[in-house]
Amino acid sequence: MPEWVHLPDKYMASATPYIACPGCDLLLNKIHSSSGRKLFCPRCETVIYQKKTNSITKVLAISTAGLLIYIPAIFMPLLTIHAMGMKQSGSIFDAFLSFYHQQYYLVTILLFLTSILFPLVRLSILFSVSLQLKIRLYSKSLFFLFRTANYLDEWGMVDVYLIALIVSIIKIHKMATLEFDIGFFCFVFLVFMTRATTSALEPEIFWSALDELKQSSTKTIKQ
Amino acid sequence: MMTASKTIQTAMESGFMACHDCGYLLDANKVPSDVPLGCPRCNANVHFRKHQSISTTWALIIAAAILFVPANLLPIMRVDFLGSSEYSTIMDGVLFFFHSKEYGIGLIIFVASILVPLFKIVGLSIILLSIKFKWKHGLRHKTAMFRFIEFVGRWSMLDIFVIALMATLVEFGSFTATFAAPAASYFAAVVVCTMIAAHTFDSRLLWDA
Ligand SMILES: [Zn+2]
Repeated sequence: MPEWVHLPDKYMASATPYIACPGCDLLLNKIHSSSGRKLFCPRCETVIYQKKTNSITKVLAISTAGLLIYIPAIFMPLLTIHAMGMKQSGSIFDAFLSFYHQQYYLVTILLFLTSILFPLVRLSILFSVSLQLKIRLYSKSLFFLFRTANYLDEWGMVDVYLIALIVSIIKIHKMATLEFDIGFFCFVFLVFMTRATTSALEPEIFWSALDELKQSSTKTIKQ
Repeated sequence: MMTASKTIQTAMESGFMACHDCGYLLDANKVPSDVPLGCPRCNANVHFRKHQSISTTWALIIAAAILFVPANLLPIMRVDFLGSSEYSTIMDGVLFFFHSKEYGIGLIIFVASILVPLFKIVGLSIILLSIKFKWKHGLRHKTAMFRFIEFVGRWSMLDIFVIALMATLVEFGSFTATFAAPAASYFAAVVVCTMIAAHTFDSRLLWDA
């Protein structure tokens, strides 16, 4: 394992009035925008910053709601299908198990990660990070956790799953009668909460709040 | 629009390293260059550009292009109906919707399962070739295309989710039942390869060339 260098404060560029465009690395002057407008890079048009108000509070509220609905959304039956005097129902979890029973293990793993594990881990991290920022409870792992949550944003795919569910409903309704179960409504709610965390989340606000929390908590320990 | 600092130059040219995870800028001139750096703010591994970005991205899109062939030629789904089995490929599924006049859904599946993976493979190849041959025109469009590739990749999983749901919900014993077929594994691998490829690619390399 290579050694990591933790830079002392004097090497930090936070004092510099610049930021770099994540899309093309153009060095830009940092400007403070109080309006809700998006700021674009003049060279490659990547969005550099988008001011979002009360990001931490909103993320805390939305992730709490998402976590509360998570279990019924994943484990409760979505639909009941009636055909030939028989009925069949299933949940998101059952759909994952069906690939397992058919011995498609690669797809099973991918289904488990994208529809069950990652959405839960991401919501849990956002919940604990925003809660700890609110109650000012510092722990070293917060930085690693928040980085992980950002990576999981694209790998948690409940929104794609919802469209797949609608496609399946259109496919099935032609050949059988179906009724919506409680899991369906919980799942739709989970998808909306997951999308809402993404739109309320402004990473820069979290990073600077985390940095500030770290600075103040290390100061208190020294005193 | 933000304003560019005095002359157009990159953070790297000015000796600043931007953390890819949290956007933090650190002064590279003041730190030893032979040790991997941890971002002072978020502790991610910091470097001027992602390591081996181009070769890793090439490897992943070539793998995706190869896997895309069996993913489309082999059946992805099997439907048993009163004792007879019918296998269908991704394209058969799309045509099924067109025949039953569900054009919207047919189009969604076609775009998500066929156009998107194809667009990602071709688009990333064009971007990588333009770095190799230093094609400087249309950089802004290529960056926009890359952002689109990053955004759209996950939507290819749609068909896999549909099959998972159909296999669970349409399960009426000997009357009718739905199963996955071999292309599902190849297709899942295509999606994973292209998504990781979009992640290993560093769009800043386009502008360095
Ligand atoms: Zn830019």
